Amino acid sequence: MKASTVTGGDDRPSIRQLAAAVAFDVNRTVGGGHASIELLRRTFTSRGWLDADAHGLIVAVSRLTPGTNILAYCVTLGWRYHGWPGALAALLAASIPASLIVFLLTATLAQIDRYAVVRGLLAVGVLAAGVLVLASAWALIKPYLGRSARVQALLIAAVALGLIALDATPVRVLLVAAVIGFLRPTGAARR
Amino acid sequence: MSIVIVYLLLLKATATSFAGMGSLPQIRQDFVETYRFLSDDQLSQAVLVGRATPGPMGAYVVAVGYFAVGWPGAVAGWLAMISPALAAIPLLAAIQRWLHLARMRAAIDAVVIASAALLVAAGVRLLIDGSQQLVRLFLQT
Repeated sequence: MKASTVTGGDDRPSIRQLAAAVAFDVNRTVGGGHASIELLRRTFTSRGWLDADAHGLIVAVSRLTPGTNILAYCVTLGWRYHGWPGALAALLAASIPASLIVFLLTATLAQIDRYAVVRGLLAVGVLAAGVLVLASAWALIKPYLGRSARVQALLIAAVALGLIALDATPVRVLLVAAVIGFLRPTGAARR
Repeated sequence: MSIVIVYLLLLKATATSFAGMGSLPQIRQDFVETYRFLSDDQLSQAVLVGRATPGPMGAYVVAVGYFAVGWPGAVAGWLAMISPALAAIPLLAAIQRWLHLARMRAAIDAVVIASAALLVAAGVRLLIDGSQQLVRLFLQT
């Protein structure tokens, strides 16, 4: 498969421009990749590097790729312009700054969490993290709650929650869900 | 503990999830329950740091790796975070070839929905952990 399979805007960025745009847009948002993807779309379309169709296809690929969606988006975006070198440049630009911040914050936490005040703040933070994780779950399942897909989505969610209650491993939960979706495709499609 | 083992365990979690935090249940099972590389408190802190940091939410695996084996573990976490993203390119070819099939699309959608259910379980666990920590602190003071 050639990079040109995914067509889009007339112009294309250099690898340096690509990495700079990805690093800036991905590493200035908090709360997940959806906001970053929107920032990237605006940047790349405003410069004539990307059109709506190409963006839509890249979003679809990133949603279906295992792991962190925004990184898959960046890989596909970079590959579109410069093949594997572009994909790797975009991946590094998207992941290294945030990883360094996480590393430094974690190292600091490991040294200061002996204090009761810090532990109290962290406990409140854990509560907030729990709420954010639940919000992530809602963001994932919300597109499937349209009228045509609701029954299938609720069925799969109920089976998954049942398996979780039975202490099934996450991989098994996902495999069972995939089998259900494959065997009972009616009404499963989003949108 | 081998850094390779840490990388492979984190990769197993990131490569079988479909969102930044979707790897959390598998990581908890492997690192907290099965191998006891870190405590529930440390995992909660890793999640907290990951969610409070600008950039990909999946970057919390860097903190998980750090808590497990120090800075080499952080590198292993970063590698485990970025590795699955490379699957996007061959996946693009497969999508263009097979996604018009309703069964294939439905199977992928079902995996995403199940990921959301796994996140609900992980989120509830975090809420319980945070509440218990606050109660413990209150009783100690």
